[in-house]
Parts: sequence; C-alpha cells; structure tokens
Amino acid sequence: MSETTVNYDTVSKQARKKKRVKRGTIYLVLILFTIVNAYPIFWMIMNSFKTGQEFSFDPFGLPNEWVFVNYVEAWVTANIGSYFFNSLFVGIVALLICILFGAFASYFLARFQFKGRNLLYGFFVVGLLVPIHATLVPMFILMQKLGFINTHLALIFPYVAFNLPITIFLLTSFMGSFPKEIEESAIMDGCGPFRIFWSIILPMSRPALATAVILNFINNWNEFSFALVLINDDSLSTLPLGLANFAGEYTTNYTAQMAGLTMVLIPTILFYLVMEKQIVNGMTQGAVKG
Amino acid sequence: MHLLKKPWIIAVGVIPALTLYLIFSIVPIFISFYYSFMSWNGFSEMQFVGLANFQEVLQDKVFWSSVRNNVLVVLASVFGQIPIALALALLLNRKIRGAKFFRTIGFMPVVISTVVISITWRMIYNSEYGMINNFLEAIGLGFLQQNWLGDPTWAMIAVCITIIWQFVGLYFIIFLSALQTVPKEILEAAELDGASEWMKTRYVVIPSIWNIILISIVLCISGSLKTFDLIYVMTSGGPANSTEVMATYMYDKTFEGLRYGYGSAISVLIFVFSIGLIMITTKLLQRKEV
Repeated sequence: MSETTVNYDTVSKQARKKKRVKRGTIYLVLILFTIVNAYPIFWMIMNSFKTGQEFSFDPFGLPNEWVFVNYVEAWVTANIGSYFFNSLFVGIVALLICILFGAFASYFLARFQFKGRNLLYGFFVVGLLVPIHATLVPMFILMQKLGFINTHLALIFPYVAFNLPITIFLLTSFMGSFPKEIEESAIMDGCGPFRIFWSIILPMSRPALATAVILNFINNWNEFSFALVLINDDSLSTLPLGLANFAGEYTTNYTAQMAGLTMVLIPTILFYLVMEKQIVNGMTQGAVKG
Repeated sequence: MHLLKKPWIIAVGVIPALTLYLIFSIVPIFISFYYSFMSWNGFSEMQFVGLANFQEVLQDKVFWSSVRNNVLVVLASVFGQIPIALALALLLNRKIRGAKFFRTIGFMPVVISTVVISITWRMIYNSEYGMINNFLEAIGLGFLQQNWLGDPTWAMIAVCITIIWQFVGLYFIIFLSALQTVPKEILEAAELDGASEWMKTRYVVIPSIWNIILISIVLCISGSLKTFDLIYVMTSGGPANSTEVMATYMYDKTFEGLRYGYGSAISVLIFVFSIGLIMITTKLLQRKEV
C-alpha cells in the first residue's frame, strides 16, 4: 500500500515538473512575441529624444539627456498641427455621414420586408471586396471633373463610400436581431417609421454603432492612398500623407523623423488602449460571426 | 419585420447611402474598364485603342515581376501570418496570468497607421543606423549586415517581414475569439477519453474553428493584394523595381508616367486578379473541409 502512495507521489511530481516546463515555454514564446511587437515602437520613441549624434553612437540605450529639439523641429517644419486638424476634420465629417446614412439604410434593410432586399444588402456588402487601388485613376478624374481635387470633399466622399459596406454589414446584422415586438407597440401608439428609427432602433443599436464609429475612424485616420492621389496641397494634407512627405524630405534627420512619428503614434496608441475592448470586438465580430 | 405600404419611405432611407456608394465605389470600377481601352495622358483628347493597353501590359516584364511580388506577399502573409497567429492563439487560450496584456500588445500594430509602420521599419532596416545592423554588430555577427532595403535580393524579403509583423495581431485576435466559442463539454469529454493536448487540438479545436481559419485566409489574401502604402513609403517599388507590386506599378504608370489608359488596364487586372484569387481559394478550401 505504501508503495503505491510513493509511486503516485513521484508520478505527480513528474507531472508537476512537466507542467512547469510547459508553462515556462508558453510564457517564453508569449514574451518573445511581445518584445517583437513592442520593441520597434519603443526603439523609435527612445531615439526621438536623442541628439542625432547620440543616436548614431548608441541607438539602443536610453537617452543620456532627454532632448525635445526634435519635437520642436518636427512640429515646426513638418506642420504636424495642420495635418492633425485636416485628418481630424476629414475623418470626423466622413464618419458622421457614413454612420448616419449607413444606419438609416441598415434600418430599412434589417426591419422591413421588400422586394430585392437581400439583393440590395448583398450589393452593399460586396463592396468589402472592391480593391481601392483599382479605383484610384477614375476617382482622380472624377474628382477633377467635380472640381473637388485639393479640397476636403475629395477625401470625404470616398471615405464614406468605402466604409459603408462594413458599417451596413455590422449594423444590419445587429438591428436584425431585435425581436419584432419592439416596433409593434410603437406602431399602435401611432409612431411612423422615422420616429421608430430615431427613438427606438438607434438608441438600441448603441453597441454596434460604437464599433462602427471606431472602425470608421481608424480607417479614415490611417488612410493614405486616396490622400496621395487626391490632395497635393500641403496645407490640406492628412497626417499619413504629410508624414510620408516629411520623411521623404528629411531623409537624413532620423531623430526628427522619429519625433514626428512619435507625435502621430502616441494619440493612436492611447486611443487604442482606452477603446481596446470595443476595437478588438469590432474587428473580430465580422469574421467570427460569418 | 413588417411590410411597409409606402415604398417611397424605403427609398428615402436607402437612397442616400446607395448613391454615395455607387458613385464613389462601384462606378469607378466600371470607368476603369472604360479608360483601359483608351490612350490618354490626362490632358489631351482620349483615343480609343482597343485592347492595345492590355497587349502591352501582358508583355511588360516589370508588370509580371510586380505580379510575382504580389504573389510573394500573398504567400508570406498566408504562410506567415496564419500559422504564427494560430500557434500564438492556441498558446494563449488557457488560464494564464497576463493574458490580457499579451492580447493588448499583440494587436497593437494593427491599429497603427501603415505610413508610420513603413517609416519606422525603413529606419530599422537602415544600413548604417538601423536596429538590425546595429544588433548584428553588437552580437558579433557583423558579417551578416546587409543594405536590407537597398539590395534587390533582400528588399522583398524585408518588406514581407514587415507585412507579417503588421498583421499577425489581427489573425491572432480573430483566432483567440474563435477559440472561445469551442464548446467546453466536447473538450472535457475528449480529455476523459484520454486524448492528449495535441489530439484535442488536432481533432476537436482545429475542426471547430476551421470556418474562421478559412475566412481568415480569404481576408489575408484580399488584404495582401491591396498592398500599396507600405511599399510606396518604404521603397517606392525600388531598388530596380525589385519590390514593385501591381498597385505601386499602376500608380507609377498613371501618375508619374501620365499614362491613364495604361494605368487603368493595370487597375482592371488588379480587380480581376483579386476577385479570381479570392474565388479560387474559397472553392479550394471549402472542398478540403469536406
């Protein structure tokens, strides 16, 4: 009897040891992944506080003395303030239009039965597959004809159009999941479809709306191709475009480039950390559901 | 859901979104087709040239090398991002301290603007001051130093590594949330039957998230075919066209070379390739599932 106990003990000890080794390996891999993900960003932020000389001698360590000249230089020469404003303006206006129109269309697609409804929904969602770059040439010509080149409108319209598919996809499936009794009492009380939309459906869709807003904003904030083709006036550049031009001009002033990048990056990362849950849910919702 | 008596109300709801979507996303694709039969520099009269643009593109060596590079990006993404992301997600899909932290950092690169990522990595690859060469020097492997982005043999590899880095987090998060939907009871039953961890993964976990893996592969392919910003900013297709992809080549020809018709022909091919490749992979992978 005692023999079996001892035996059992050694077995469990071995098992525990094996478990610990396994845990250790898992942590090691995950920590490695974290370093690979975060270190490039960290490297850039650290070096943005160094003088050019210190960067070339010691690109790995912490700065000896934290200098801010790079930030002053990037801010002044690169016009980052004006790029910020442009990105913010274009991004928010496009987002408002897209959410408003998208929510309205989704409401009718989700809550009403009419001929061609599925076809229409499919037509909107197919837009997810349209490659942006196949539309650059005609978009440029179109904007030229409309006289929109070098205006904020040149970006607002394509941003709305290319975000509508994902917006409608998210909102329609969310609005479609409400029980149909929701509207019935409202109709009894004499509410029309527009009233139902504003007072009932829209407030109930808040979680999906939040996701759509965030996705729209991230897409607009980071967009580069349309800005490159449709804007060539520096005072109207968005952040990505302005930053690319700045880095192209100051190719050898690495630390100033890094300061510019850091200024653009920090708000993005803060926004991400605050909204992480919503962003991650939004990104996965579409894929996991489908 | 209810039938609305007045169809005009539905029209009012759907038309604003539909109009913007049509004009700025769908119509441009068709205009692209139209322009692709023209010879045009953007200023003078358009001239109908039939299939001449296509004939020329299909004999254009640089175009074919851009196709090859696009395929390389697709392969690197599918065989880099998906397996790494899946392995990491499987590792993190258990009770682990700091799981939230690993998740947060893991997804971070996905929300950062591609322009920021490109400029950062351009500095990381910098032959004199870059992180990689400095690191190799520091650990005594200085002989491995390369001019990563300046050398045609390395440039495409360097670009692909950056692309993998940028998007692993997206699939990592998608797989992680898919893994949470795997029913616990089945896993417990398998455990009682004495299935090892590997067997559980192979025969229970992977099959139950197979659909998500499939969707991710399609996303991954359509995403990699859209590669533009990253290469445009990192290398602008150089050195010697060695990192050219279809979208950057189209941009060059149209907006630098002022050949709108020729550029449109490339756009049309981008569109055809994208849709074709997505359809083929969906078919192939679906068959495998059965």
